[in-house]
Amino acid sequence: MDDKLKIGDFEFNSRLFIGTGKYENLDIMKKAHEAAGAEVVTVAIRRVDLNDKSDKSLMSFIDTNKIKILPNTAACFTADEAIRTARLAKAAGLPNWVKLEVIGDKKTLMPDNEETLKATKVLVKEGFTVLAYTNEDIVYAKKLEEAGAAAVMPLGAPIGSGQGILNPNNIKIILEQAKVPIIVDAGVGTASDATIAMELGADGVLLNTGVALAKDPVRMAKAMKSAIESGRDAFLAGRIPKKLYASASSPIGDTIK
Amino acid sequence: MKLVINGQEKELECGNISELLSGLNLNKNTVAIELNKNIVHRQKFDNTQLKDNDKLEIVKVVGGG
Repeated sequence: MDDKLKIGDFEFNSRLFIGTGKYENLDIMKKAHEAAGAEVVTVAIRRVDLNDKSDKSLMSFIDTNKIKILPNTAACFTADEAIRTARLAKAAGLPNWVKLEVIGDKKTLMPDNEETLKATKVLVKEGFTVLAYTNEDIVYAKKLEEAGAAAVMPLGAPIGSGQGILNPNNIKIILEQAKVPIIVDAGVGTASDATIAMELGADGVLLNTGVALAKDPVRMAKAMKSAIESGRDAFLAGRIPKKLYASASSPIGDTIK
Repeated sequence: MKLVINGQEKELECGNISELLSGLNLNKNTVAIELNKNIVHRQKFDNTQLKDNDKLEIVKVVGGG
């Protein structure tokens, strides 16, 4: 069955985008990526440590024949910082797309939507495929889409919190009105959270901490893979409406007396 | 020559960006560079001359979500 995820010019079979942060070591990360069947993994861009000469490159643990690397602008607090980070990622040889993340509050890591919108406009003009991280807010989701974002990524819950999908109704509203793919990004703590996002009709899920900090990250990556596939199938299959009263599955009459 | 690299002042002798990177023991294929807030592409490292008080950001790919 052809059920590909299309973002800008890119196409994927897997709907699970997974991070590269917080793993105990890079071998486990690599195995988790394999178990997740990942075709997209996120990375961050940071200053090199001029005093640290150890050169254990993250990149050598990512199979770029199978996996497309999605740079993020995590920890940027202004549009300007995010734009510069995206440009640096491209100059580092990464694909011409970006998970645009502009943070507005240190404690909650909630997005600054105004700055995100500003940065989206500039980066789209420069030819970037922009995947914009935002709140589960229909107004900004629409604004980002109108500004040319190739995908909008509403949060399920604060980054790394593992609280799950806190506002399914708001995500549903975004999904009903969106013309671009919607990737639920952040807050997914366990498999059922990912399934819920997909059952709502999300086009994909992006997660990091839920897998990286699980007791067994490789097993959790496998669980997330099947959770997302199950949720997608359930969405496409079309669930039954919820009813207040029972509706018998076995014939009511002709029972023995 | 005084350079500000990743926010740190450094006193270094180098002509162009490639020389700077080898002086710092950095692999030019794993970093990206911003010079005074403008991107310098890898193929221009050899012929981008540095001058006193230039500000550079040298970045690499790290783990993230």
